[in-house]
Amino acid sequence: MSITDSYREKIRIALVQRAGDVPDASAVAEAAISTWYRVAAQLIPVIGAGGVDVLFNRSLHLTCTAFPWLTIPGDHRDNIALFTNLKERLAGREPDTAAEASTTLLGTFVELLMSLIGESLTERLLISVWEPPSPTSARENETWIAK
Amino acid sequence: MDSKVTIQRLTTVVPGLDAILGGGLPEFSFNLIVGPPGSGKTTLAHQIMFALATRERPALFFTVLGEPPLKMLRYQQQFSFFDFDKINDAIRFVNLSDDFMTGNLTQVLARITEEVEASSPALIFVDSFRPIIPDAGKSPAGAISLYLFIQQLGVQLSGWQATTFLIGDFMSESDPHPVLTVADGLLSLNQSVYRNSMVRKIQVLKMRGQETRPGMHTFRISAAGIEIFPAMVVHADTEGDSSVTGVLRSNKRLTMGVPRLDEMLGGGLPSGYSLLVAGPSGSGKTILATAFLAEGVRLGEPGVIVAFEQTPSQSWIRTLDDIIRSGQIGLINTRSLDLSMDEVVQHLTTLIRKMKASRVVIDSLSGFELAIAPTFREDFRESLFRMITMLSGLGVTVLLTSELEDRYVDLRFSPYGSAFLTDAIIVQRYIEVESRLRRVMAVVKVRASNHSNEIRQFEITDEGIVIGEPVHDYEGILGGRPTRMPASE
Repeated sequence: MSITDSYREKIRIALVQRAGDVPDASAVAEAAISTWYRVAAQLIPVIGAGGVDVLFNRSLHLTCTAFPWLTIPGDHRDNIALFTNLKERLAGREPDTAAEASTTLLGTFVELLMSLIGESLTERLLISVWEPPSPTSARENETWIAK
Repeated sequence: MDSKVTIQRLTTVVPGLDAILGGGLPEFSFNLIVGPPGSGKTTLAHQIMFALATRERPALFFTVLGEPPLKMLRYQQQFSFFDFDKINDAIRFVNLSDDFMTGNLTQVLARITEEVEASSPALIFVDSFRPIIPDAGKSPAGAISLYLFIQQLGVQLSGWQATTFLIGDFMSESDPHPVLTVADGLLSLNQSVYRNSMVRKIQVLKMRGQETRPGMHTFRISAAGIEIFPAMVVHADTEGDSSVTGVLRSNKRLTMGVPRLDEMLGGGLPSGYSLLVAGPSGSGKTILATAFLAEGVRLGEPGVIVAFEQTPSQSWIRTLDDIIRSGQIGLINTRSLDLSMDEVVQHLTTLIRKMKASRVVIDSLSGFELAIAPTFREDFRESLFRMITMLSGLGVTVLLTSELEDRYVDLRFSPYGSAFLTDAIIVQRYIEVESRLRRVMAVVKVRASNHSNEIRQFEITDEGIVIGEPVHDYEGILGGRPTRMPASE
């Protein structure tokens, strides 16, 4: 199952909004990582950190075909190292490329989730992730990352 | 002051479940859903949850071990009861497998308590456990064992103001888990495979404070979820039941739709009776049954037919098809080979009530026996008895057909020894007269009524069954090879 263009656009807009008005690559990287926090915060209670890990690693693997520079060698069990690494790689690219890669990675993840639990349930679980950030939503669930 | 507590009962809406529970689930009860893998525990839990959970009565579903939640959501949403709008609204899933993997069960228990206290759910589900897990060596010092954990969880679940469910495989005959004692309700599910058929059964082993329906009840899992077929209960004494006596005691007789047959029956078939039409293949049993139903339609008495036979395109069968299509007769047609008698009776009862039917045809017992899952065949006769009792309790008049093996050495009316179960019997036979096969019919019994004892020839024409004159000139007819008697002067 592939996600619709409009869903992909929703992901892209969420990233752009989080990255600020004139984003540089590190702002894009920051926005991407904070979006991942939100995804994890929504999904961990439902499918468990283990489930999110599996889907994330698979999405990363699939996205590396189009963006080989995203390939992160080694053991992915340490989420802190993995995300620091991902953030650095995104920050080291042109802002547009970083945004494109982040959108693709998130899109692939959503696609994967949809293929497993269907479109309705995926949209329902992730609905708040794509909403514009509000000052009160700053507190993110970081247990997954801190594992 | 009468200060007895009133126990509210929650209607689960799972077809048949409320009936076997004795009127629904008691509010604030602590229930166990037990059974081996694949028996339908999670499906039952989900179906109950989706039916009961509302924004005002929210549900928490903890997943612990068992299937990974991704897979659970993937498969459970295939059921029509899975309502996406309730997710993260009336229903919240909480995954505890990560906590569980650490082996610190004290912490898992704390997590559950914390989640429950934070959201005060009215319904709590914990899915699922097996008390014996080989890898118990990981428990950190000071943490409780899984055995004790389940026990403590059970006690905690009983204490919250919520209707709670613990799902797992706790039934071990040698060593029943103590949580079974704590539970208010105990639903046991199992599936058995016998030859080529699989049969699912559910049993309410315990439900405090209410009278449950005893015995094993078959159930089926389809796209709509679980449907339970409560086992038929035959009351020892139906005399006092006015709905039964009212009909049985009426002197009304039903016309059969076959000229002269009513006369043979002593004026028609008494209303509320069961009639067995036995005869060899092709003797005209289905045609007789069709005439019975068609006559009912003509008189404004709706009917229902349970058909287990292939329907060839004879003109008479087409008549039946036409009546069915016009909606004047209800049809239960099944080619399934894993039915339970209770399932058929359930469908039949529903249809009889819906159609307000007074005439029922079961065509035929031989096909019925084939359609029943092999594991139930041993009890076929007993089930048949219960079914007939049930149907007469509903006040309907039943016509059952039964294939009779062509045997001329003994006189039998049915292969099931079911002849005594019915109130009336018509037998059809082939006889050989002048090198031709001819059909004869006789009324063998009509309980508490006079009836003809003649053996009459009959023919099947395009108009249906045409009953002829009594066979006066021959004897030894039921032996199949009648001889002409010398003409009496």
